[in-house]
Amino acid sequence: MTGQTAVLAADVPFPPSVGDFYLPSIVPWGGHDSWFTKITLMLWLSVAILIIFFLVAYRKPQLVPDKKQWLAESIYGFVRNNIAVEMIGKEGVRFAPYLATLFSFIFMMNLWGIIPFFQISPNSHIAFPIILALISWVMFIYLGFKKHGIGYLKIALVPPAPWFILPILVPIEFFSNFIVRPFSLAIRLFANMFAGHMLLLVFTLGGFAMINANLWLAPVSVLSWLMTIALTFLDFAIIALQAYVFTVLTASYIQGSLAEGH
Amino acid sequence: MAGQQPPSEPRKDDEPPAPNSGGGYVAISYLIGGMVVWGGIGWLVDHWLGTKGIAMGIGAVIGGAAGVYLIARRLGA
Repeated sequence: MTGQTAVLAADVPFPPSVGDFYLPSIVPWGGHDSWFTKITLMLWLSVAILIIFFLVAYRKPQLVPDKKQWLAESIYGFVRNNIAVEMIGKEGVRFAPYLATLFSFIFMMNLWGIIPFFQISPNSHIAFPIILALISWVMFIYLGFKKHGIGYLKIALVPPAPWFILPILVPIEFFSNFIVRPFSLAIRLFANMFAGHMLLLVFTLGGFAMINANLWLAPVSVLSWLMTIALTFLDFAIIALQAYVFTVLTASYIQGSLAEGH
Repeated sequence: MAGQQPPSEPRKDDEPPAPNSGGGYVAISYLIGGMVVWGGIGWLVDHWLGTKGIAMGIGAVIGGAAGVYLIARRLGA
């Protein structure tokens, strides 16, 4: 049973569990095991919204932009100047389109977590962050080898240190540069979205659970629902922050691959 | 007065990357990475020699120290 239908049914399963993240199929004609769930719908909607929004906003660019164009230019300008150029330097401009796409895609996907009637982010399923992190991972390794050839391994793995400590340091460099990076990217995004949804579930369902258990607890239930509203605002801050962090870290890994030695 | 010159803006192009660009995450990954890698190697040595966690403890300490050294080298000065 999903969180949303449980709330309507009023006899709520509490506490919420990981099972609440696995939504049933929403195809009216398909069986229960059809693959088209709300998560799939939100993924398709995110892609469609972003494509249509940017196409419409840039279709007839004006010197004095209207609201749509202003918003689109602000997003792109922010990523280009404050992330790509700031982190990577002049060369960063050529990564700005990818970074802007990454930023707006993650932001849109996260935003479903607080949009009424959707209220779960597809990024709370780890498959989505894993793919995004893999793209960043392949990209910075590819760029490093393309720029430095095989010498990239020396730049990435051999720190400036006396030769006799190197055998201790090189495995750590390998571990933290090539293994921890994709994991931490994926898990940071996933865990934040998962925890955000879980928190909202706990406070919403907890309110119902308390009011069902004892009517005298009704004021506490109301308090719990007020907390839900407050946490939704907190979630919005986290949504924007995580989209930003993912993009900044990807840019910083690209910068590390392009940098001239240490 | 030499007020005719345009205000000297900082030239963004020449600056090095922002100092706090993920430096914290790098530091954490070196610290944890050091202890996990050498602690893990120590754990394998424990299995091989049949000791009970001595090599793993030594490995974790050495790894932690090496992690601190790496942070100082890569991020410091």
